[in-house]
Amino acid sequence: MDRLTYFPGCSLKDEAKEFEISAMAVMKVLELPLVEIERWNCCGTVFSLTEDDLMHQLASIRNFIRVQEAGSDEIVTSCAMCYNTLKRSSLFVNHAEERLEKINAFMDEEVAYEGKVEVRHLLEIIRDRIGWEKVEEAMIYPLEGLSVAPYYGCMLLRPRQVGIDDPDNPTIMRDLIDALWATPVEYAFQAECCGSYQVVDHRELIVERTHRILSSARRAGADVVVTSCPLCQYNLRETQSELKEKIPTYEEMPVMYFTQLMAVALDVDSGELPGPLLARFSVGEGVGKGEG
Amino acid sequence: MDKVSKQELIRGYPQYMRKSIERVEATRAKRLESGPPSPMTAEERENILNKYHPDYKPEKKRKLALGISAGEIVPNEMADMLEAHPLFDPADVDLSHIDYDVSLLVIGGGGAGTAAAIFAHQEGIAADDILVVTKLRHGDSNSIMAQGGIQAADRPEDSPAIHYLDVIGGGHYANKPELVRALVLDAPKIIRWHEDIGVMYDKQDRKYLEAHGGGTSRMRMHSAKDYTGKAIFSAVRDEFRNLGIPVLEFFPVIELLLDEKGNAAGAIIYNIETDEYKIIRAKATVLATGGFGRVHIQDFPTTNHYGATADGLVIAYRAGANIIDMDSVQYHPTGVAYPTAILGQLATEKLRSQGAVPVTKDGEAFVFPLEPRDVEAAAIIRECWEMNNGVETPSGVRGVWLDTPMIEEIQGKGTIKQRLSAMWTMWHRHGIDITEDPVLVYPTLHYQNGGVEIDEHGATSVPGLFAAGECDGGVHGKNRLMGNSQLDIYVFGRRVGMSAARWAKKSRPKKLSLQHVVDYEKLLKKAGIETDRVSPILLPDYRDEAVISSSLGRFI
Amino acid sequence: MSEQENATIRIHIMGKTYRVPAGLTIMDAMEYSGYRFIRGAGCRSGFCGACSTIYRREEDYRLQFALACQEMAEDGMYLVQLPFTPAPRSQYDLEKIDPTENVLLQYYPEIARCVSCNTCTKACPQDIEVMDYVQAALRGDIARTAALSFDCIQCGLCTMRCPADIKHYHMAQMARRIYGRYLSPVPEHLEEQLREIEEGVCDSELDKLVAMNEEELVLAYAARIREEE
Repeated sequence: MDRLTYFPGCSLKDEAKEFEISAMAVMKVLELPLVEIERWNCCGTVFSLTEDDLMHQLASIRNFIRVQEAGSDEIVTSCAMCYNTLKRSSLFVNHAEERLEKINAFMDEEVAYEGKVEVRHLLEIIRDRIGWEKVEEAMIYPLEGLSVAPYYGCMLLRPRQVGIDDPDNPTIMRDLIDALWATPVEYAFQAECCGSYQVVDHRELIVERTHRILSSARRAGADVVVTSCPLCQYNLRETQSELKEKIPTYEEMPVMYFTQLMAVALDVDSGELPGPLLARFSVGEGVGKGEG
Repeated sequence: MDKVSKQELIRGYPQYMRKSIERVEATRAKRLESGPPSPMTAEERENILNKYHPDYKPEKKRKLALGISAGEIVPNEMADMLEAHPLFDPADVDLSHIDYDVSLLVIGGGGAGTAAAIFAHQEGIAADDILVVTKLRHGDSNSIMAQGGIQAADRPEDSPAIHYLDVIGGGHYANKPELVRALVLDAPKIIRWHEDIGVMYDKQDRKYLEAHGGGTSRMRMHSAKDYTGKAIFSAVRDEFRNLGIPVLEFFPVIELLLDEKGNAAGAIIYNIETDEYKIIRAKATVLATGGFGRVHIQDFPTTNHYGATADGLVIAYRAGANIIDMDSVQYHPTGVAYPTAILGQLATEKLRSQGAVPVTKDGEAFVFPLEPRDVEAAAIIRECWEMNNGVETPSGVRGVWLDTPMIEEIQGKGTIKQRLSAMWTMWHRHGIDITEDPVLVYPTLHYQNGGVEIDEHGATSVPGLFAAGECDGGVHGKNRLMGNSQLDIYVFGRRVGMSAARWAKKSRPKKLSLQHVVDYEKLLKKAGIETDRVSPILLPDYRDEAVISSSLGRFI
Repeated sequence: MSEQENATIRIHIMGKTYRVPAGLTIMDAMEYSGYRFIRGAGCRSGFCGACSTIYRREEDYRLQFALACQEMAEDGMYLVQLPFTPAPRSQYDLEKIDPTENVLLQYYPEIARCVSCNTCTKACPQDIEVMDYVQAALRGDIARTAALSFDCIQCGLCTMRCPADIKHYHMAQMARRIYGRYLSPVPEHLEEQLREIEEGVCDSELDKLVAMNEEELVLAYAARIREEE
């Protein structure tokens, strides 16, 4: 397979454009390009995944049918939220004949879903199919001297059968940071929930969590935090100004997608980086050189 | 009704039509190579029109017996509506209670009326001082049904003057010159206005995709796939809604109101669902009520919408507005002849402008595909009934083939679904794939060429009454070209909106009168017309004869 | 089957059974039965969306959706018309909106409630991929929303069926206008022609034509040369 059937998810088309730009650029260099599936809909994260209600799986499964139509049996996404939603649906219906039959009967305007599409996160692909060595080889600007804190949040790791790594001791992001010659930062809150959609109704909760997570990373020596989820990224990034108002001494922490970190090291388009904070990176002249 | 049941159809056509289609297929390559027949000379055109066009049958028309245009020749069906009683006795109406008192009344919710309201508002009339009334829903109109396009001379190869010549020649030189001048000169402005309100015109390489229409000498047909009317009107209506101008739906006008001096002063509207009338007083009135397709002149089927019954023309005539060119009727050359379920619906001229050619049952081309509409229609009628070269359908209608697969050969595979998706869908619903097979067509009643006479500001002979769109007269002479009705409704819709607004601003509220209706009754008597006909007819009646004959008429 | 039986079918209009000739559209069949439309009939050609119809076939649990003027009546159809949709529309000023990704979501926030059930698409008599354009709108793709919804005739069936109360057709209308106004530039040749008209370049030639008598016009008309395609 020389390309990936790619599911961007809605956020990567507007709020998280830089996530997609950098992911696309990185994977192009790594010779396993992401090719967006022609037709797709929301992963379905906007409604609950109550397990006994097949209706709630429709959105995900419709996307699996699109994958099937595209002649593929795998779908790759870089958004942790989309990954989690799609993955849970696939585990629920794949190889479950009775459920498949029921849901296919409801979606009678579509061709039947055969239950064979596997959902993968981009990090998994890089780890398992490309390998850290090839990432290292492709690197133009080693990120030596930069301390990077990985932030997994919930969606990459939980529940256990969905997670791309051990939820108690994940290493996948640390290995990536290592491969880019940066220094991985160990801290207590790398898999702590950011507060997710509570940001809509209980913003103060997110501010408090951001404080806890980012301060912990800062104390452990981090220069930057990397994420894999547009919502985590939004919460960690956008509530820092409120934090600053509350605590005048608070120092802002740059937050970016893991693919942006890779793009910087591979010297390809990273999309917009957390601008004014770039001064902190004093590694190589290619840092932050986005091609727009 | 087709006697052939659905099971016996092969890709939408009965076996015997398939045989004819095979002959069409057999000649296609040769026809593609040789190109279509040449256009006719002026003399040939005149000959064929005289012999075969339905308009040239004197027995189907008569002189109007009464009113301001007495002596004008009109189709019998039109004369019947004009020589008829009003729907109510004027003595039964209380004019002292005014339900709506506005500066501007717009009658008709199609393209012309909606544009008139928008431009009157731009000219300074407050939104809530305008009232649009319409017989059916806002937008149930021929405006929304136009498929092929709208003309505007905007390419360097073209000019308003060339457009002028095409229009007036196509109209047999009967058009009012100042109206044609306004039409062609305003055309690019109208396209620009459409751009401003977000109409999605077909474009390629930052230019419009422009094509020929019947009788054009330059390619100036702008289109929005084959949903041109819908694409334009739905943007216009959306803009109108954003402005918050009030509209009353399902309220046909049943009579105009004048003041003591004979100036337009408003109208009586009728709630078609609850059976009550309301009185509107207005300083200026715009008539944008469309044409007469649903009156089925000479029993032709029609492309027109359900409400096209010329109500506006009838009430304006009673109020003293003169009419012109009402002797001429437009039959669109290519109405659907088969399947019978959609008999008479429109097969857009764009099919021909994109390359389809009419051919006989044996696959022979017999006419240049883009003659002006009256000439093209006459040629098809001759082929079917004089030369006996048509295909007869199971219900006894004759038609010629329009060889639609040629479009894909000339313009490339996929053109039909891309540029003619409405047409593709219409036949596809009946199992016919127009990319593979030709379609059977015959002329269908399409357009009222004449109407209430206007000047270049849209003013009629009744002070304070303005008219635009299909109900106006003088723009198209004796034959309208494709793409000039979409232009008419927006050019003159805009013009009447502005002139009616200016008129309203210098007018005072008036004392309402129905004296002209009383007087009209006297004229009927004087002319010796004894009839129980009433008009306007508001809606056609398509119930089965058996139902009508046993109806007590209690609720309907 | 005898010829007589072959020629007629039974339809159920709002529960009442009528026998009508075969080969009629639903609209014609209802009129044949004696119904005279006030609502529920518009252009009668599939362009206006006035005649939204819901039907069910005998022996089938599913509801089907059609335009009465376009769909053929079939034996055993249970018919009802739905000619009005009480769907609110957002007011906006096309000149003042910000034509970027979030504008549709801003005016029609309920599109975020789409659960991809596709009921809208199944209800569409125009075969539009309605859910796909709602999804495109949700991710800010105005061009795709406009293109996919182009054939929409605003009959309202999608909106009537939507479990998330989305106002598909109003939202799509806004998308098409934004596309036409902001994302599809006005051709330069139109602007050029408008400048010429403004400067009066076209007037003298037109004045000459307006002043011609019929004889002169006939000659001028005959002298035209038709531009080749």
